Amino acid sequence: MEVVKKYTEPELVQLLRQRSQSAFAYLYDNYSGALLSIILTIVNEEELANDVLQEVFVKIWKQIESYDSNKGRLFTWMLNIARNASIDTVRSKSFQNSRQNRELTEDVYAAGGTSETRTDQIGLRKMVHSLKEEYRVLVELSYFQGYTQDEIANMLTIPLGTVKTRLRAALTQLREIIKP
Amino acid sequence: MDIKAYIESGVIESYVLGMADAQEAAELEQLSRQYPEIRKAIDEFEAALEQQALATAVVPAPRVKEQLLAELDFEKKSKKGVVIGWSRYLAAASVILLVVSASLNVYFYKQFSSASTAYQALLIEKTSLLSDNQQTQTKLLDLYSNMQMMSDPSMIKVSMPGVAGKENSLATVFWDSKSRDVYLLPNKLPEAAAGKQYQLWAIVDGKPVDAGVIDACAGLCKMKNIPAASMFAITLENKGGSAAPTLDQMYVAGKVG
Repeated sequence: MEVVKKYTEPELVQLLRQRSQSAFAYLYDNYSGALLSIILTIVNEEELANDVLQEVFVKIWKQIESYDSNKGRLFTWMLNIARNASIDTVRSKSFQNSRQNRELTEDVYAAGGTSETRTDQIGLRKMVHSLKEEYRVLVELSYFQGYTQDEIANMLTIPLGTVKTRLRAALTQLREIIKP
Repeated sequence: MDIKAYIESGVIESYVLGMADAQEAAELEQLSRQYPEIRKAIDEFEAALEQQALATAVVPAPRVKEQLLAELDFEKKSKKGVVIGWSRYLAAASVILLVVSASLNVYFYKQFSSASTAYQALLIEKTSLLSDNQQTQTKLLDLYSNMQMMSDPSMIKVSMPGVAGKENSLATVFWDSKSRDVYLLPNKLPEAAAGKQYQLWAIVDGKPVDAGVIDACAGLCKMKNIPAASMFAITLENKGGSAAPTLDQMYVAGKVG
């Protein structure tokens, strides 16, 4: 999807803060698809992912005052809102109940096998699948499931230092893949 | 420090993707302000991430946008804006009107107070003019009745010129031949000294009879009733009058007839 440049990012942020409907429509038209692809990498049910997308735009709308352009791009800020909302959804009780028979690790270790879903084939997650196994697990747990590095070290019974080193190495590889 | 190694350590990706812990994030934010290369690496990864996400965009369900447009609190530009504009003007106008009205109240109250004071003064002046007018009317009536008396044919006029040494003085007695009432017109008498008062005498059978002291009166002064007299005279006596006249203080005298 190509972004139709109508506003500069500071203009867009300012208009959103002024509660401009046309600025919101512009933001939605240009970024909803990209954000939905992020959400789908974590919430692999399309209806639910659309609910999360709606929730994410409500959060963007309500929290636009707290966006700090010195810390990064608007998209990065929105991406992290989408990722956190997605992880919260996946961790919620109702979601867990709906997939109670599936073990967490099943997702983690499902390497290109039969349990691979559509979401595994899009975006970042697809790239993550091309990583070495020991890296992929860490990115899955950390990025897609929102566990802290401490939690991952405990979960996988490997030292925290190793988690940090491997995760950074994984991300470095990921960057090479992402680079246009 | 080795910036290149730091950039390639994966910390930037960890930070941008929201996976860095608070300490790592704070460190990176500080270093990015210090080293433009780090800032540049962050920007580049963010841009790449955005491009990658846009490239893999998935079209959302139409209901999402519809619900958002219906639910969010957008600024109402067209109609509501005009209403807000008008109500602002109205509010401003009402404040101005209030101030103007309050100032006018003060102004009118002052005007009212001064008008009221002026009215009171006029009222007092009117009352005083009215009483002056009444006094004048009374005086006029007195003078008219005096004139009527003086021109009455039954009135005996006794002219009393000044005696030797008092030639400038003059007084006239009007004596009613029927009622025997005596009236005095002090035409020309020097002003009585303090503690002194003029007294009229009637000379009856060669003896002076008190005919009354002369008080300040307009026109004719009514004196005592004198049944008979051959002449009248006026002397200056101590205030209140004397039983017998002080002859060297005689001013005027005149014979009847």
